[in-house]
Amino acid sequence: MRLFIRYAREERVKYISHLDLMRTFQRALRRARIPVAYSEGFNPHPRLAFASALAVGVTSSDEYMDIILEEPVAPEEFAARMNFVMPMGLPILDAVQVDEKVPSLMSMIERASYQVELSGTVPGLKQMVEDFLSRPAVEIEKQGKKGLQLVDIKPGIYMLRLDDENGSILHMLLQTGSKGNIRPETVVQEILRQQSNGGLEDGLLHIHRDGQYIYKEGEWVSPLALKY
Amino acid sequence: MDKTLLDRLMGQVSKPARYMGNEYNMVEKDPSKVSIRFAFAFPDVYEVGMSHLGMKILYHLINEREDTYCERVFAPWTDMEEKLRQHRLPLFSLETRDPVSSFDFIGFTLQYEMSYTNILNMLDLAGVPLRSRDRSASDPFVIVGGPCAYNPEPLAEFVDLVVLGEGEETINEILDAYLEWKDEKGSREDFLLRASRIPGVYIPAFYDVEYDSKGRVASVKPNRSGVPERIVKRIIPDLDKAYYPKTLVVPYMEIVHDRIMLEIFRGCTRGCRFCQAGMIYRPVRERSMDKLLELAENLVGNTGYEEMSLASLSTSDYSELENLARELMARFEKSRVSLSLPSMRVDSFAKEFIEQVQKVRKTGLTFAPEAGTQRLRDVINKGVTEEDLAASVIDAFESGWNTVKLYFMIGLPTETDEDLDGIAALARRVADCYYSVDREKRQKGLKITVSTSSFVPKPFTPFQWEPQDTMEVLREKQQKLQKHLRMKQVNYNWHDPEVSFLEAVFARGDRRLGEALYKAWEKGARFDGWAEHFSIDRWMEAFEDAGIAPAEYANRRREHDEIMPWDHIDTGVTKAYLWKEYQRALKGETTPDCRLDCTGCGVRRIGEGLC
Repeated sequence: MRLFIRYAREERVKYISHLDLMRTFQRALRRARIPVAYSEGFNPHPRLAFASALAVGVTSSDEYMDIILEEPVAPEEFAARMNFVMPMGLPILDAVQVDEKVPSLMSMIERASYQVELSGTVPGLKQMVEDFLSRPAVEIEKQGKKGLQLVDIKPGIYMLRLDDENGSILHMLLQTGSKGNIRPETVVQEILRQQSNGGLEDGLLHIHRDGQYIYKEGEWVSPLALKY
Repeated sequence: MDKTLLDRLMGQVSKPARYMGNEYNMVEKDPSKVSIRFAFAFPDVYEVGMSHLGMKILYHLINEREDTYCERVFAPWTDMEEKLRQHRLPLFSLETRDPVSSFDFIGFTLQYEMSYTNILNMLDLAGVPLRSRDRSASDPFVIVGGPCAYNPEPLAEFVDLVVLGEGEETINEILDAYLEWKDEKGSREDFLLRASRIPGVYIPAFYDVEYDSKGRVASVKPNRSGVPERIVKRIIPDLDKAYYPKTLVVPYMEIVHDRIMLEIFRGCTRGCRFCQAGMIYRPVRERSMDKLLELAENLVGNTGYEEMSLASLSTSDYSELENLARELMARFEKSRVSLSLPSMRVDSFAKEFIEQVQKVRKTGLTFAPEAGTQRLRDVINKGVTEEDLAASVIDAFESGWNTVKLYFMIGLPTETDEDLDGIAALARRVADCYYSVDREKRQKGLKITVSTSSFVPKPFTPFQWEPQDTMEVLREKQQKLQKHLRMKQVNYNWHDPEVSFLEAVFARGDRRLGEALYKAWEKGARFDGWAEHFSIDRWMEAFEDAGIAPAEYANRRREHDEIMPWDHIDTGVTKAYLWKEYQRALKGETTPDCRLDCTGCGVRRIGEGLC
């Protein structure tokens, strides 16, 4: 039996790594006595996969996991039992049963939305964002197979705007997944590049991922909104 | 305390999960609703400290008390220290991120000498005066325990209280005394006097040390009335009744020993003469199999750990080991919890047992013959023969293992070239054993790792009178071994002689070393157990500044009747017994396992009816 799980990673546990999170879920599954399936082979591992990695320090209200169980557990029961044993700050928000033939979440999710909070007001930020949006291309250096390459990230920035109320929060919708991944820090760095003291370490207060999306029949939808 | 800033700084250092807390099973309490706040401090980084069994036990034990909140503190890695100092933020606890200076107690566990500079550094980061005489009413009491606390003299001027022996009962008695004292609104000294009446509590400030003309200890005497002449360590008589946590904090980041540790017994009866643990943790007390199975069920259910290990000084000596291992594996096979067995001794390693371990997951195979020849193994009373080792490794190779680790010590008393040659010969013998196994049966790619540590004479052992080899001699021996062990299947590694030297200085140190410790810390020493931070030059300068000749501590043979700096501390094993064992060692006479027949070590005086 296969489940898609939606969960959140809150402020108090934002500094854990991808590997840490994997171990955390494995141990919580054992505490909840969920019969997770294991791979075959010399070194069997539990069959769970995250839809996408979440960088250390980033919070999220919209994370996904793909899990195969050895014996069926109703999705609602799965969520209830897991929430009983998950650490504070990592709530399971939703679970749905999906067919084994559905492609992996990792291969389907192609966009992610973020809220990026800068520390304090950056003078002229509005103009910088407009300037950034009017650039025909935004080329950044990326380490590829053939060494350093210039890559245009502009096509992967689907939306970028300042928050209506809080002038130090940026909203953005970016390309993610196996075909290409744009990090929100990179976008902020490029926007602030004009600024002389653009030290990102102190300038970036907080990144929050608030959505991940799948492209289906001309629309961008939340992964669990689909019928599988 | 600017907790928002602190939280941001975590995002700017390596491995921020070290400082984050909020792990599953972390204890949460309202600090305003407790009478005592206890900071359990481990003088090393999170992943080392969180692996320590004693801390796990005491953390949950203290938190069983409604009147006390025990929180964890670890040494910030150098990048975090830099941030804290730069922004003038103090050392904080993981649970509440409150400054440690506002706690009632800071408790350090002393696991190894090389962590001492971290203790000073943590006190300094906390804003607590380093020397106990400089602390005032608003400062916490600094309390220490653990194996190195049996000779706490080098730290005497920095700590307020020392807990000797197993602390499960003592700590509660100290906290009770603290509450009574708080009601009375007495002075700091009043509390220390009160605490000094608790058996197993040592207050260094209540003792004066005198030195003779040669600079050796002449006497250690109480300087207050009512303070005991000798302080006797504490023992928990019945492990089945002793507190053991039903749950553990489950770390997010990988820690050094990332598994459930099931403590199956305390003490060891083997009597290896170099081994301090084998002497100071006597007598042997086992936990019953029923109790262990109950604990294991609780711990697996409450932590979800994927691995469990049996913790003790000599796991294969547990009287029901095979039954226990079989039962644990049977119970947890379905939930895929594997069992690993550390401290494996060569002699009681049964083939069936290897197969049982393998059934769940393969773990490394480690043997510790400690010395290269039978003569020297007799001297150190390591009752293992070459034939034992050969039989065990053949069994292991037949069962599909191809990697073997061999641990030895160099610089042992009476060691000669022949003993060093013996180390290489044993490695060759292991290789021969591998090739003697059917090609079909054995796994391809033999790998033998030979590791040598350097002998450090420890207090409370039969070798406490022995000098350590000088660093030059140790280095020569290592070079010789490097030459002898140039075989394609063998990988040789060794310990830094400089670190072993420093360990030897502090292990048998006296109060005068406190000044050198302080000077070394001032010069920037910290994380001395980490090769990237250790500098022998810095230490040598510190010794010079403090007017101390470190070789006097490390490389000098002690006189038979010399008063040791730790003679006022009683571990149960008598000095007369240690001397007797030392003399037997020099004659190459072995002493049998005391489970077979009492060898009269003296621990029966304090642990009546326990062995």
